[in-house]
Amino acid sequence: MIETQSPALEAPVARAPQLARILSRYGIILVFLVLCAALSLANEYFLTWGNWANVLRQTSINGILAIGMTYVILAGGIDLSVGSVLALSGMVSGSLVTGMGAHHPLLAIAAGILTGLTIGAVNGLLVSRVAVPPFVATLGMLSVARGLTFIYSDGMPIPNLSPGFRFIGQGSLLGVPMPIVMLLAVFAVFYFVLAYTTYGRYVYAVGGSEKSAKTSGIRTRLVTFSVYCISGALAGLSGQILAARTTSALPQAGVSYELDAIAAVVIGGTSLSVGGIGSLVGTLFGALIIGVINNGLDLMGVSSYYQQVIKGIIIIAAVLLDAFARKHRA
Amino acid sequence: MRKSVRLAVAFVLAAIAVQAQAAPKKTYRIGAAVYGLKAEFMQIWVGALKEHPAVKDGTVKLTVFDGNYDALTQNNQFDTMVTQKYDGAIFVPIDIQAGAEAVNKAAAAGIPVVGSNTRVNSDKLLSYIGSNDVVAGEMEAEAVLKGIGGKGAVVILEGPIGQSAQIERRKGNEIALAKYPNVKVLEMKTANWSRAEALSLMENWLTAHPGAINGIIGQNDEMALGAIAAVKAKGIDPKSMPTAGIDGVTDAILAVKRNEMVSILQDARAQAQGALDILLRKLAGPSYQPRSEIWAQYAEGMPWGDGTAKVYNVPWTPITLGNADALLKTRQK
Repeated sequence: MIETQSPALEAPVARAPQLARILSRYGIILVFLVLCAALSLANEYFLTWGNWANVLRQTSINGILAIGMTYVILAGGIDLSVGSVLALSGMVSGSLVTGMGAHHPLLAIAAGILTGLTIGAVNGLLVSRVAVPPFVATLGMLSVARGLTFIYSDGMPIPNLSPGFRFIGQGSLLGVPMPIVMLLAVFAVFYFVLAYTTYGRYVYAVGGSEKSAKTSGIRTRLVTFSVYCISGALAGLSGQILAARTTSALPQAGVSYELDAIAAVVIGGTSLSVGGIGSLVGTLFGALIIGVINNGLDLMGVSSYYQQVIKGIIIIAAVLLDAFARKHRA
Repeated sequence: MRKSVRLAVAFVLAAIAVQAQAAPKKTYRIGAAVYGLKAEFMQIWVGALKEHPAVKDGTVKLTVFDGNYDALTQNNQFDTMVTQKYDGAIFVPIDIQAGAEAVNKAAAAGIPVVGSNTRVNSDKLLSYIGSNDVVAGEMEAEAVLKGIGGKGAVVILEGPIGQSAQIERRKGNEIALAKYPNVKVLEMKTANWSRAEALSLMENWLTAHPGAINGIIGQNDEMALGAIAAVKAKGIDPKSMPTAGIDGVTDAILAVKRNEMVSILQDARAQAQGALDILLRKLAGPSYQPRSEIWAQYAEGMPWGDGTAKVYNVPWTPITLGNADALLKTRQK
């Protein structure tokens, strides 16, 4: 599992050859490896495939949210609305595949992603055209989208989702559970876009310095607009996976998921204070670290009181270690 | 002969009573302060309250206050009711202690308050109508423990630690467990009433204890449903894993029909409509007769008496194949 991830790391090296950045990236993988080693010593089941299927399945939703979040944070913004958008999109698609006259699952999935995309586009317009600060615009949207979810569903969950739709949460492709397939597919596409396309470079440039990006001819408003669309659409996709996994579209789904997504991005070494620094590989490992902590502490039967404390400490420690590595090896 | 005379007299008296009630055309302004409207149970509760005959015919002008899961918000809503001189209030508090302050405030202003569904620690409450969570915890655990044949191992999915429903349902779980010394509790942890959290937790438990878990006690339906999804994902037939939940949400009724779980209905309708009748009895005086059907339905387990009891315990109803369809029908709009 871990070995297959590392070759991917070499790719961004060519693009950004600063030693510090490379080492800081290895730092987060080091944290991940140490954590895994400790947990595999503590529990015999930790390293089994069955358990890794759990970890990855449980990471898929946060992972996909965090991928969109990485684009937004790289471009110098933040998206607090993803948890609510996830719930709204899940509701919209759920309503299309329930009971009699259920539509084709692909139509429902498209509708759900489109819902997320639409909300993301509104966020993007507010930030890029009306110049509302991203924190404010998406904080407002967090409330609006959640409210719309309750209006649309009248506060009730939508049960009886069609088997075709549930497949994206419960089925598997060539033995790999679908949520994992989707996480890997989303990661592959967005990793490629960010690392190998002009657009990807624009995202870094806009986050690094919007002014210089503008003077060098980048349509910065369009780039800013687009990252919120991506984040919204991916939140929409996550909503489908959650609904399919829990077999119902739930109006209270995804509450405070934005915090775990931001945590994954930050643990992964993407800077919250300065845009333009960070990578999707880091984010993936950030999400995995959160997933592994939750899973490992459940396996060991750690009480939920301690679990919250331990999780918080590990998050802070991971970021500290990362900063330490960056400073001392630069 | 004599019987029919008596019947006729009764009819006439009843007609007069109804007339007497209708004659002054008095309307009451009543506020229902509920802890939050984001989960299905409270939606059903509010829906049922609006279906009460007194609300439908306009005798009661009802305002529903959404407490948004915050004790302070609820407190402020009581301030509003006091300043706007409401005639009475129905209260479903988020917090057993913080709610007392709100009740005292209303009582001081002469507004009677009836508690419903969740408890509040105040002696100023006119009356309380709810269901005993200890009993439900015992019933659901009993069902699972019986289902696994009285021996083996179970896991318990708990509500948010410290909430009164979690504390009391756990108490009930433990009462039942004490009767089965051959059953071991492998894990017991909170999933915060959440289906998604329970799903992940159960996946992890099934990995940590391969083949060792025989039954699942969920302190509410949502968590039991999440656990069932994890069991299915693991390729285990949920029928071979006795699972129970509490509340009787729509999804759970459907799962009961598929033979995948046991659920115990908490009757939101009885709690809501009953509370309004108790309140109206106080406002209209001793001549008031309850108008909700629920009093006839529970004549046995929860007699109306003269409508002035301090506590009304709405009985729990296990959901079975026999009553599932009828219940589902009440959920459709």
